[in-house]
Amino acid sequence: MLFNSLEFTIFLPVVFTIYWVLQKSKLKYQNFWILASSYFFYGWWDWRFLGLILFSTLVDYFAAKSISSSNGNNRKLYLWLSICVNLGFLGFFKYFNFFIDSLKNSVLFFGGELDVATLEIVLPVGISFYTFQTLSYTIDVYRGKIKPTDDFIAFAAFVSFFPQLVAGPIERASNLLPQFFTKRTFSYSLAIDGLRQILWGLFKKMVIADNCATFANLIFNNSDDYSGSTLFVGAMFFAFQIYGDFSGYSDIAIGTARLFGFNLMKNFAFPYFSRDIAEFWRRWHISLSTWFRDYLYIPLGGSKVGSITKIRNVFIIFIVSGFWHGANWTFIVWGALNALFFIPLLVLNRNRKNLDFDEHQNVWIYLKNLFNRVLTFILVTIAWVFFRAESIDHALNYLKSMFTKALFTSLDSKILEDSTVLFYLISIFILLEWVGRKNEYALEKLGMSWPMLIRWSFYGLIIFSIGMFMVTEETPFIYFQF
Amino acid sequence: MMGRFILKLTAFLFFSFIIYTLTLILFGEYLPSEWNNNLNYKTASGGHALTRFREVKTVKSADVLIVGSSHAYRGFDPRIFSEYGYNSFFNLGSSSQTHLQTEVLLERYLKKLNPKLIIYEVYPGTFKADGIESSLDIIANDKNDFESFKLIFKHKHIKIVNSFIYGLYRDISGLNKGIKESKRKKGDEYIDGGYVQKKNKTFRNVSNSKKWWKVRDQQLDAFDGIIKSLKDMNIKFVLVQAPITSSFYQAHQNNDYFDSLMDSRGTYFNFNKLVELNDSIHFYDRHHLNQAGVNIFNKKLIQILKEKDMI
Repeated sequence: MLFNSLEFTIFLPVVFTIYWVLQKSKLKYQNFWILASSYFFYGWWDWRFLGLILFSTLVDYFAAKSISSSNGNNRKLYLWLSICVNLGFLGFFKYFNFFIDSLKNSVLFFGGELDVATLEIVLPVGISFYTFQTLSYTIDVYRGKIKPTDDFIAFAAFVSFFPQLVAGPIERASNLLPQFFTKRTFSYSLAIDGLRQILWGLFKKMVIADNCATFANLIFNNSDDYSGSTLFVGAMFFAFQIYGDFSGYSDIAIGTARLFGFNLMKNFAFPYFSRDIAEFWRRWHISLSTWFRDYLYIPLGGSKVGSITKIRNVFIIFIVSGFWHGANWTFIVWGALNALFFIPLLVLNRNRKNLDFDEHQNVWIYLKNLFNRVLTFILVTIAWVFFRAESIDHALNYLKSMFTKALFTSLDSKILEDSTVLFYLISIFILLEWVGRKNEYALEKLGMSWPMLIRWSFYGLIIFSIGMFMVTEETPFIYFQF
Repeated sequence: MMGRFILKLTAFLFFSFIIYTLTLILFGEYLPSEWNNNLNYKTASGGHALTRFREVKTVKSADVLIVGSSHAYRGFDPRIFSEYGYNSFFNLGSSSQTHLQTEVLLERYLKKLNPKLIIYEVYPGTFKADGIESSLDIIANDKNDFESFKLIFKHKHIKIVNSFIYGLYRDISGLNKGIKESKRKKGDEYIDGGYVQKKNKTFRNVSNSKKWWKVRDQQLDAFDGIIKSLKDMNIKFVLVQAPITSSFYQAHQNNDYFDSLMDSRGTYFNFNKLVELNDSIHFYDRHHLNQAGVNIFNKKLIQILKEKDMI
C-alpha cells in the first residue's frame, strides 16, 4: 500500500480511530492492533512475504533471548544465527542474481563459460530496511546495550511498524522498542505536528519528486539525444527527485508515527544545503549512515586507527552502503565516488567542520558558504548519475556527453518549455526548505507566528499545489526497490 | 483532546476546501494551460460537444436516439434518416464516450427525449478506455449536476475533481453562456441533430500490427447496467458496431470474441461485416467514416432496421 494512494487515505483514519479507541484498554491491545494493521498494510502488496517477516521476527526474538541467557561462545553463536538468517534472506532475494551474473562475466572475461541459471526472484518490499532494524536489535542485546523483550507482540509490532516498514527510517531497538511498552496517550500537538509533516512529505513526493521524475526519466532514457546542459539539468532533476521521493517518504512515515504517539528518528536534515560532502552524509539518510557507523565503521576501528586504515574503513562503508541500495555495479561505483569525495576532508581533518547551520551574518562567509553549497550539490549530482544510470557504461557516457562545451549552451527548447512550471515549483520548494532549515522539517515552525487564517491558507495552498501538480499515474517510492 | 483534534481537523479541511476552490478558479481563469496540469476544462473544443449539448436541451423528444463515441456523432446522419421519413432523431454521441458517460447522459436526457429506439454505437475501443477524457468533455460542455459529481467516484481521478469544481463555478456564474461555437471548424461541420460531418477528406492507408480488443470490467459493468435499465424500461435498443477501416479491423485478432460478447447482450449488428467500404475512399482516418462512407453505412442500417421491424 502506497502512502500516496487512495487505499492509504482510507486505511489511515480507520487504523487511527480504532487505535485511539483502544487507548482505554490494555497497552497490549493497542500493540496487537498495530501489528495486525502493519501486516495488513504489508500484505496488501504481497501477502506471501508476510511469512518472511514473521520468520525473521521469530528468529530474532528467540536469538536475542538466547543471547541474553547464554554465556561465552553460545552468545556469539546465537548472534551469528541471527546475522546469517537475516543477511541470508537479504542475500538470496536481493543479490543472488547479481552474484551469478558477476561470476558468469568474470569466467567469460578469462575465456571460460559458466552455465548457471539465474532465478526470477521477486524482491520483497522493504527487506533491506526491516532486516537492518531487527539486526540492530540482536546486536544491541549481544552488546548488552538493551535487554531482550519477552513480549512477542510488542517485538513483532516493532519489526513491522507500518509507517516505517518498507522504507525506513531504520529504527534502533533502543529508540523505538521501549515506546511499545510505554502508555501512549493522545497528544493534540503531536498529532497536529504529525499531520503537518505528512502534508510536507506529500508535497515533496507528489509535486517535486514525481514531476522531476518525468523529466529525469525522459533525459536519462534518451541521453544520446541531448546536449551537455540538458544532461546536467537531467541529473539535477534526478537529484531533486530522489530527495523529494525519499525524504518525502520519511516525512510521511515520521508524521504518521506521531499520529499514533510514536517518535521516529530523523532521517534527513536538509542535505542539499550542506557545505561539504561530510556534512551531506550527516544529513542524508541519517538512519542508514548511523547504522553503518554503529555496526560497521566502529567495529572496524572507526576513527581511532591509522590514516590508511581510516581511509580503508571509509571506502568499505561507502561501498557497502552503495551495495545495500541495490545489486548493481552502478550503486557500488556511486558509493566509491562518494568515498573519493569524502576522503580529502578526512585526510585534512576537515570532515567535522560544518556541523550545524549556525552562520555568522557576514556577507563574505555567506557567499563562501553559498559557493561551497553549490559545489557540494554539483558533486552529489555527479555521483547521482551513477545511481540513476542503467549501467556503468550508461553513466560514463552520460557524464562524457555532459562535460563538453555543450554544457554551457542553452537547454533543449522542448524540455525548457515543458519544465518551466517545475522550475518555479522547485524554487519555491528550495525557499521553504531554506527558511525552515533549522527545524526538524521545513514546515515545523514555519508560519507558527502568523494569524491562524493566514497559516491555514498557506497549508491550503500546499494542498492545492498537490491537487494541481501531482502526477496522475501512481508512482511508487524509489526506495521501495531497495 | 481527541474531540478538539477532530473538530479542528474538520474545520481545517472545510477551510482548505474553500482555499482550494478559490485558487482553482484563479488558476483556471487567469493562468495559461501549462499552469493547469490537472485542470482540463476545454469548452467548445473538438467534436462540437457544446453545440450538441445546447441543442439537446431545446429538443422536446426524439424517436430515435443515438449514443456512443465519436463513431456515433460522426457516423449517424440525421439528414439520411430524415430522407426515409424519420425526422425525430437525435445524436447524443460525444468524443471517446465510454459506457460510464453514456450512463450519465441517459440519466440526464432519456426521460426528456423519450425515444422509441436507441441505437447504441459499440466501438470495442470504448470498452478498454478509462473514460477520463470523455468525462472531462462532458463536464466542460454539458451542465454539472449530481450525475457528473458521481463521475468523481467512478474515476477517482484528480482531473475529474478539479474540472468538476471549476465547471460548477462556470455553470453557476453563467460564464459559459457567452461562449459561441462555430458550426464549421477544422474541416468539421455541425449538422442539427447532433451530427458532425467530415466531407472532403480521404485516408491514406497504413499497415497495422496485430492487436487485441481488451475489455475493462468497470466499462462492461456500466454497459450491462445500461442494457438492464433499458430492458426494465421497455425501451427498444439495438447495438451497432460502426464500420472502421478493414485493415484496422482485421488487425484485431479477437473480433469474434467481441461479437459474441455483444450478441449475448441484445440485437447486435457489426457493420464491418455488413457493408463493403473502401479504406481510402470512405474513411478520413483509420476508424472514422467520411461523408461518403456515412451515406452508405446509414442507408444499409436503415434498411436492416426496417427489415427487422425496429423502426
